[in-house]
Formats: sequence, structure tokens, C-alpha cells
Amino acid sequence: MTGTASARDVIEQEAICLDERRWQDWLALFTEDCVYWVPAWKDDDTLTADPQTELSHIYYIDRAALEDRIIRVSSNLSPASTPLARTAHILGGIRQTGAPGPGRVTFRSSWSTHVFWPQSNLSHTFFGRYEHELVEDGESWLIARKVITLQNDYLPSMTDFYCL
Amino acid sequence: MDSIDISDAHRQRPAGSFRALIDDRPDDGVFRLHRDVYTDPALFDLEMRHIFERSWSFLGFTSQVSQPHDFFTTHIGRVPVLVSCGEDGSVGAFLNICRHKGAELCAVRQGKSKSHVCPYHGWIYDSSGRNIHIKDQDQGAYHPSFDQVDHGLVPLAAIGSYKGLIFGSLNADVPPLEDFLGDMRFFIDLAMEQGENGMEPIPGRTQYTYRGNWKFQLDNGLDSYHLTSTHLSFMRALDRRRVGEGNPHGNQTDFFKDSHCDTASFGFDHGHTVFTMDNTEPHRRPFWPYIDKLRDRVGDAKADWMSIKMFNSLVFPNMQLAHNTALILRVFRPIAVDLTEMTSYCLGAIGEPPGERGMRLRAFEDFYNAAGLATPDDSVVYERCQQGMATGAIGWLQGFSRGLGALETGQNDVTRPMGINPVESSMGTLQSGQEVVYHPPYREWARLMEAGEAAAPAYP
Repeated sequence: MTGTASARDVIEQEAICLDERRWQDWLALFTEDCVYWVPAWKDDDTLTADPQTELSHIYYIDRAALEDRIIRVSSNLSPASTPLARTAHILGGIRQTGAPGPGRVTFRSSWSTHVFWPQSNLSHTFFGRYEHELVEDGESWLIARKVITLQNDYLPSMTDFYCL
Repeated sequence: MDSIDISDAHRQRPAGSFRALIDDRPDDGVFRLHRDVYTDPALFDLEMRHIFERSWSFLGFTSQVSQPHDFFTTHIGRVPVLVSCGEDGSVGAFLNICRHKGAELCAVRQGKSKSHVCPYHGWIYDSSGRNIHIKDQDQGAYHPSFDQVDHGLVPLAAIGSYKGLIFGSLNADVPPLEDFLGDMRFFIDLAMEQGENGMEPIPGRTQYTYRGNWKFQLDNGLDSYHLTSTHLSFMRALDRRRVGEGNPHGNQTDFFKDSHCDTASFGFDHGHTVFTMDNTEPHRRPFWPYIDKLRDRVGDAKADWMSIKMFNSLVFPNMQLAHNTALILRVFRPIAVDLTEMTSYCLGAIGEPPGERGMRLRAFEDFYNAAGLATPDDSVVYERCQQGMATGAIGWLQGFSRGLGALETGQNDVTRPMGINPVESSMGTLQSGQEVVYHPPYREWARLMEAGEAAAPAYP
């Protein structure tokens, strides 16, 4: 695969890594200084826009912050993550939305994640939109920025990176 | 060895007595709760009537209704409430229910509107709660008696505010708000006086539910004993951050840096209670660079408590203010005996620069969000408690005893400089994990339930 086809492939790979719990492979898809942002809703129709003055569900500007999450769910020390939920990410409507610079592309997509919690035998579906910004990295692409819009933000007990 | 206890203690208790559910014998050093307190649906209905519908409840912030026609919606227990600033600038609180057919009037969480139109038959209310339009009234062939009835929204029986926090009650027979809060005001001041222009909830909603009784949050929001077990995975993340790995921007308080640091718990009248501990990392407070200015404004005692101390607190029955890693105000709304809705607000100083606000936000998100590294572990544990207790196989719980051997009554050397006069206190290290902090709310719970059952005033 070449060009934007392989950029699109990274977006799909990312979802697959999460469902297969290949955490290190998932991490390796991001740049070291990646932005990973899940804005909160400010009111019924508006998302928060500025992470320095408004609340986010998650706001990271460093891949090392994603490592914290992986360590937590792999630790067997987190009651919310033990046993870990099983997930299936469904992606659709993947479209390139721009090319902000050389070797740099942006995509949008719609997602849903079906989550099953073995400890309660309950399932839930989180859903929303992704915006990915990818940078060319040799033969492939890395995620430099991912913005996750969570449409159903009235959360059943919890959510986590593998649910989004 | 104890045997399996599948008895229904509440059914065996004398009519109107709730003491059978709370084994409170200070002279014997005993305090136990019966699990029915968390699991019995009949008790839940009584809690709504005798506690939530008869005491003060936190509604929201004055900053949300500071301009004419600003409004927000909330609940007192099961009851929907609309808080609105009228044309004249005065804030009113009303049942958020149309007088015509009882529809919930306003479905919007917050906003600005001169009027509220019921979606059913189009009755309209202004921002002061007055009915200003009954659709087709002229042609309605109403009997003259209809005009004798007030068609405006029903106002709450009491409304009050303290340091930017608005409270309301469905019961006119409540003490003045300041008396109700009592010495809890010292701790509210620590939160609400941080900004020289006051404090506000930072925009962005974080709301979630858990499948457990509302009192699991009441307990856990004051629980220091669970930190080193429920949050072991979070401790692991902090261990890494201490050596420069993991999230470099979390601005997270290292709760576990000093497990021998001093802690104290204070119980007050009306069920309010506080747990405090030393803050070994005051530099993570956004106001730390100008602590001297803060000292001048609020005085030494409060400035010290804002910076080198942390606290978790309960304003009975269902609001918690905590100033540890960030400043959080949480409301836990009971929906059913085994379902609770959590709303968390990250508080920030009005007008503070983005860098300082960012410090608050990162710490809050890291720990307190339902997508954070700590709160999900709490919520899941509440659900495990509900599962364990709902079986009915366990009767008396043993989780209310830590600190009973160190109780003091009245003032002591710690409380004197604060100018507070707790009913009781207990001191120890963080590892003491004091559980006496739960006693005041459950004593108040029993008092209000018994007063309700006896049809006696809630606050004689």
C-alpha cells in the first residue's frame, strides 16, 4: 500500500490493536509527542474547545501518558480493569479531510465500540467520531493527533482508552 | 465464628426505629451498620421523603445564574428543580414542573432564556417563574375559580447561598443555611475563597452512573483506607512518574509520598464531616507562586490549609467538596436503591489564567474523571459492594471501626487555630484509615429518618 491508502490502514490497525489487546503495537502507532484528546461536552450541542480552560475526558500531549493507561490495565491491580472488558471497534465513514502539510494528512471517521464487562455480564456501546492527523514515517504513517468525540457522554460507571 | 445472617433486620425493628440498623454504642467502642441501609428499597423511599425532601440540598453555583435570564436545571432527590435569575437579577428556584399537566418543563441543563415554554400545551413561564401565557385562555371557557389559582411555577420552600454555592429545600422548616452548614463553612471557605473573584465550575460535563446505593459514594468520598488497595494501579503509575516515566503533564499529587503524614477527621452537627491530610506537594497548587498574596487576603490559617493540607468532606446528604489533587465538588443523586448518578465539577478561580486552570484540569482529569486513572476503580468497587450485600447473606458490616480508639470530643490543639468546634475528632497517620468519619452522617441519617417516621419536625 502506498500514500493515503496506508494512512487509512493505520486508522484501522489502531482499532484492531485495541480489540486484540496488542497494547505495545497500539502505542507504536503514535508519535512521541502525539496529542490524544477526548473533549467533554460543554452543553447539549457544544464540545469543549480549549483544554487549558475547559474540561476534557482525556487530554494528553505525550505518548508516555498513554503508557500509564496500559500499565494500569495490565497491572491486575485495577478493579475496573480486572477482568478486562472485551471490545469490538467498528469503523465507518473513513474519509480524508485534508493534507495540512507535506507528509501530513487528516482523516475523519465514525466509530462505535461494543464493550462487554465479564465481571457484571453487561454490555454497552460507546460511539462517536474520530479525527486523525497522521504523519509520514518512512514506509508508513504515525498518528500525531487523535481527537475522539464521545457522543454518548453519560457514562455507565466508567470508560477507558480501549472503550473509545 | 459468625453465622450466615439472612434476617431482615429492618422488618424486625420496632416501628419508626432506625437504630436497629445502626449499632451505635460509643461507650462500648462499637459502631456497625446493617447492610439493609444500602439495599432495602423501602428504606430508599423513606430516605427520599425524610432526608432529601426535608433538608437542604446543593443545587448549583451562583456563577451559573449571575445574569438576568441565566438558568440551570437540577434535582433535589427525585424532584426536578429549575434555578433561574429573573429580569430583576434575583435568583429563584422552582419545581421544574409545568402546572398544567405536570410535564417536566425545562429539559436543558443550563442556558439563558427569558421564558420557558412547556412542550405539551404551550404554557409559558418567565425567568422569575411567573406564568405569562396560558395558550388560548380566552377561548378556554374557564370557570372564574380558575383565576383564583396561581399558575406560576411552585417555588422551593427555601433557597440560600453561601460563598457561591446555592442550596435549596422542599421544606420550609430548615435552619438558616449558615446554621445548617455550621463549622463546615471553614472548609467551604478553603475551596471557595481560593480565587479573589470567587470560584466557578469549569465548563465541560462529567457525569456518570454506578449500579450501587448513593451512600457508597458518601462513604468512599471520605475513605482514606482504600487508597492503597483500590488504587494500587494508580500508585504504580505514580511510582513511574516519580522517576520521570509516564505522563509528564498530569500534575498529580503524589498521595503516597508520605503514608505517615498526619491525618484528622472532624465530625460536625447535621451530618457534615471532613477528613484531612498533609499535602507534601504544595507546589502543585496553581496559587502557590503567590501564596503570600493569598495569605494577606484570607489569613494564615486558611492559606496554610489551602496549600499544605488536603481535605475530603461531606455536606450531608449528597454533596462532597474535596481539595486534594484538584478541587472537586461532587453531587451524588440517588435514582434507585441500587443506582446513583454522579456529577463532578472541577472548580477553578474566576478569571484565573489558562496555565493555572490547566494545572487544575490535568490533575482532575487524571484522577477524578470517569475516564481517569482512579475513579473507575471506585465505581466498580461500589458495584461489587452492592452485589455482595444484595444477596442478603451478610448482616452487620465491620467497616466503621477504624479510629474508634482515638476519638476526642470538642476542640483540641488542631481545631483551635482553625476556629472550628467539631462534635468529635480523631487524629492519626494516613495509614490509620479512619472510619469514624462516617459516624456523623449515619447518626444524622437515623435522626432524620426517625423524625420523618414520627411526623416530627426535621430540625426541632
